[in-house]
Amino acid sequence: MANMNMIQALNSAMDIMLGRDPAVVLMGEDIGYFGGVFRATEGLQRKYGEHRVLDTPIAEGGIVASAIGMSVNGLRPVAEIQFADYIYPAFDQICSELARIRYRSAGEFFAPVTIRTPCGGGIRGGQTHSQSPEGIFTHVSGLKVVMPSNPYDAKGLLITSIEDDDPVVFFEPKRLYNGPFDGDPTKPAVPWSSHPKGQVDEGYYKVALGKADVVRLGSAVTIITYGTMVFVAAAAAAAMNVDAEIIDLRSLVPLDVDTICTSVKKTGRCLIAHEATRFSGFGAEILSIIQEECFWDLEAPIQRVTGWDTPYPHAFEWEYFPGQARVTRALKSVLEPA
Amino acid sequence: MRMSNQSRLHLPRVPARPGEAPDFSYVQLSPAGAVPRPEINARARDMMSLSVDMVRVLNDSGEAVGPWHPHLDPSELQVGLRHMLLTRIFDDRMQRMQRAGKISFYIRSSGEEAVSVAQCMALRPGDMLFPSYRNQGLQIARGIALVDLMCQLLSNTRDMCKGRQLPVMYHSKAGNIFSISGNLATQFPQAVGWAMAAAIKGEDHLAASWIGEGSSAEADFHHALLFASVYQAPVILNVVNNQWAISTFQGYAGGEQRSFAARGPGYGIAGIRVDGNDFLAVHAVTQWAAERARTGAGPTLVELVTYRAAAHSTSDDPARYRAKDDAEHWPLGDPILRLKMHLMKIGEWSEARHQALTAELEALVASSWKEAATYGTMSEGPRLNADLMFEDVFKEMPQSLKRQQALMRAERS
Amino acid sequence: MSQYIFKMPDLGEGTVDAEIVAWHTKPGDLVAEDQLIVEVMTDKAAVEVPAPVSGTVVSVSGAPGEKVAVGSPLIVFELNDGARAGPAPAAPAAKAPVAPAATAAPMPAAPMPAAPAQAAPIARLAPTSPATRLGRVMASPANRRRAHEAGVDLRTVAGSGPGGRIVRSDLEAAIAPSAVAKSAAVAAAPETTEIKVIGVRRLIAERMSEAKRNIPHFAYVEEVDVTELESLRQHLNLSAQKGAALSYLPLVVMALIRVLESFPQCNVLYDAARGVLVRHRAVHVGIATQTPDGLKVPVVRNAQALGLWAIAAEIRRLAERARTNKATREELVGSTITVTSLGKLGGIASTPIINAPEVAIIGLNKAVERPVVHQGAVAVRRIMNLSSSFDHRFVDGYDAAAMIQALKELLEHPATIFIPR
Repeated sequence: MANMNMIQALNSAMDIMLGRDPAVVLMGEDIGYFGGVFRATEGLQRKYGEHRVLDTPIAEGGIVASAIGMSVNGLRPVAEIQFADYIYPAFDQICSELARIRYRSAGEFFAPVTIRTPCGGGIRGGQTHSQSPEGIFTHVSGLKVVMPSNPYDAKGLLITSIEDDDPVVFFEPKRLYNGPFDGDPTKPAVPWSSHPKGQVDEGYYKVALGKADVVRLGSAVTIITYGTMVFVAAAAAAAMNVDAEIIDLRSLVPLDVDTICTSVKKTGRCLIAHEATRFSGFGAEILSIIQEECFWDLEAPIQRVTGWDTPYPHAFEWEYFPGQARVTRALKSVLEPA
Repeated sequence: MRMSNQSRLHLPRVPARPGEAPDFSYVQLSPAGAVPRPEINARARDMMSLSVDMVRVLNDSGEAVGPWHPHLDPSELQVGLRHMLLTRIFDDRMQRMQRAGKISFYIRSSGEEAVSVAQCMALRPGDMLFPSYRNQGLQIARGIALVDLMCQLLSNTRDMCKGRQLPVMYHSKAGNIFSISGNLATQFPQAVGWAMAAAIKGEDHLAASWIGEGSSAEADFHHALLFASVYQAPVILNVVNNQWAISTFQGYAGGEQRSFAARGPGYGIAGIRVDGNDFLAVHAVTQWAAERARTGAGPTLVELVTYRAAAHSTSDDPARYRAKDDAEHWPLGDPILRLKMHLMKIGEWSEARHQALTAELEALVASSWKEAATYGTMSEGPRLNADLMFEDVFKEMPQSLKRQQALMRAERS
Repeated sequence: MSQYIFKMPDLGEGTVDAEIVAWHTKPGDLVAEDQLIVEVMTDKAAVEVPAPVSGTVVSVSGAPGEKVAVGSPLIVFELNDGARAGPAPAAPAAKAPVAPAATAAPMPAAPMPAAPAQAAPIARLAPTSPATRLGRVMASPANRRRAHEAGVDLRTVAGSGPGGRIVRSDLEAAIAPSAVAKSAAVAAAPETTEIKVIGVRRLIAERMSEAKRNIPHFAYVEEVDVTELESLRQHLNLSAQKGAALSYLPLVVMALIRVLESFPQCNVLYDAARGVLVRHRAVHVGIATQTPDGLKVPVVRNAQALGLWAIAAEIRRLAERARTNKATREELVGSTITVTSLGKLGGIASTPIINAPEVAIIGLNKAVERPVVHQGAVAVRRIMNLSSSFDHRFVDGYDAAAMIQALKELLEHPATIFIPR
């Protein structure tokens, strides 16, 4: 075991997979010689060569399309989209092609491509460096969508995603690259070395897709969340002394419905938290499923804590970001006596 | 805001609207045999004239002339003629089947048979093909059984796509033909990726892809050329300029100002413009580009100048946007007739053999259809199980889809 | 005007909850500090809970029979530290269409039953009509399910939550009295009457089931000639104070204590969790006592140190306390052996159930005059049977029989009871 932040954990995952499977190649803007703008691919081109860790043109559509072509020819590409904000030029290749190749060819062809992309705010990046578009991709059948919240999960999930023969869009909450973040920007940054999930096995291991992590067992309310909000929600619940059961989804597709419903049926109260915008966000899907499966156990309306329905602003970062205050208000509401 | 009625916006000129006389004066032609044949490793900038001229081998009398003459064995030409004729007969029959309500949709490649057949024959079986939906000649030339193609058109119990795709969206893993997408141009950069992978693996396979000139307007066209150029991928990128994309004339794809092949040199890629209805020229150019790619000298952008003799698809009626007799005036003739004429010219074919071949192929298509129909048609016979709708979304069917599958079954009972 | 939320107090010995036995107050009542407001019950003891403050009762939580966790809200008081309470502060003006008003006299929701063994739970202060908001009932999905499962029509339930919403305690209040109200409210004799198994009855039921389930009982019945004993008893009672007359019971207890000296294996408690028999030097005798609430077993502690009159007095005292529901928890636990007697109702044989975790129970049947053969001739003697049960896991038949024979010996020759070892 070693202390790793999320970047190092992701790097380790790719390092191990490049070493384990000669078909694995990495590609993306600035990822080769430079090691990636977030250093996620640091040292890998030096170690595995320019022909396996490729620098690409600044053309997201071309990156994904050529990754598809490579995967049809037996390679297992891991393509980086430098910021999730820039994934849209590749949207057609991802949704019209990548998602459907297995389906339309009845399994004769398939595209085991993993697309890695940093997402989320809390970094004062404005609207072109802070978006969380994961919900959009959950709506496209044929894609798997993953978002880890800590180094341990990040490495295990990335290895699993790379080995998965289905296409995976792998979102990395960039605010969590260097340490957990509880939503309070005035506190000094906490490194991953001070957190148990910053202890990462140096070798090969997998974390299964489709399995949520119950971060905290509790009985008063179920908090369903992923990404940065795992820590924000946990901090808000702790400050209120609420006995919250906190579920880190980790996988959005496939979704661990059993863990969600078992918990909500137990507590009767639910709060869903994500950074992404509210309207038609992924929280709406979770909420609908809970409403369908657990209706008769609900003591109170389900609460959502989300970003506002505006483009991500720069100067209003902390008014936009769903911090502890927003979680606290929602917790109070959901905990009102039945 | 006041709109003046004196717009200064240029709009591309569309010749020969319905009722007008056909006018192909815009098509830049070169005399057969006039265009030189560069070394396969020539630099793109040193062969720029080939991207605006037209490589032709067969002259109007059916003789093969010039440096691009491929000197193919007559038996190979006869095979090419057979493939092209079968493609046409197959197309015509399937068109009739659609009109008769036996299949829901069809796309013919009438007048473009040489594009697919000649190019395919110039490539090796291990080369991966990324076609558009109008390249059925590739399937035929690679020997995919007619019955299999027909079952896909019928979406019946033997459909290679298990009922998931519109008709004509074939694939063949064994025949190295990638799955056809209904989205335009997406296959172009995918082919480049495949070629990049071949190079990474140190293999000498290459990829070839086809796109209509109308589709070359899409961003994927640019991505393909860019990535092909940056990585010098072993790929042949073909723009089939058949003049029309539904009702969109090639001027709206930029063809009014510049040839499509000329975009190649803009990316540092060799660009060659060729008579798409000249079997020998098409074969020769493809063979040049294949050797170029295989020897590591880089990709080639080929513009095949041809004409979409029929409608875009069974849902289209070209009489509504172009002159009815337009096709008859196409200056580069018909690919089947021209090869036939050439073979007869060199004494390797005859009218009688042609008729006999035609009859043989028509019988083959008819018997194949009969067999295909036994696996089900739109109106009778066995039908695919709708449960298949939920398979292959992912490698393993997830719980959520199993549940939906059960709900669907319950709906139907 | 501030509110005081009184939470269920910790009643000792690690209790985590207590059962509501009866309310002695209702919303709207003005209570003084220390005034009895509610009776609750732990494992054995009933506890009277006094008001911790003076004030007006705003709301109460828990219906009779329902368990309330220690630390959870029990009663909300409005303190009289200002004018009389106005509208409830919790409901903002914008939200509730009908704000609950504390000034009006409380309106009972459920009809009071005619036989108030348990007082009906009190409705909320000025509840709003159940049909609010466009004539639809407001209740959470979970409460709708509970109502459905309990067979309660939500339209008949008063809602005290925001906007007239039916909250859980409204529902509980509606469920509880329905069983009693159903039987009492009907004028003609009903086909069936339902009595909730709560309180002491429930405890008794649980303990009896457990004892019978876990302990392999074997019964031993022996007849004892108590002619001499009766003679002694009557003689002693001539000099007894008023109200202090002896029954057989204290005499049997004294004899039993003597016998246990030779049969210590019958004065043990079985600790099932540890698989250990704990043999006690002292003899704490449980005296099975019938009370209006049901069977209770107060304990004469250290009976081995007491004389006859002291034992008798203690038995009397404990019985009185048990019957009037004043026995403390300490008085109701800790017996190492139990004696049960139904006096004149004793019958000729019975099969008493062992008071777990003890291993023996001695039952006294009726003492009657019988013709028996005594010293060779038919005589009329006073005969009383002893029906005893033993835990056959730990007490062998021989030992049980020997012990009862020894007891019989002492009782048939009562002077020997009092001869020290």
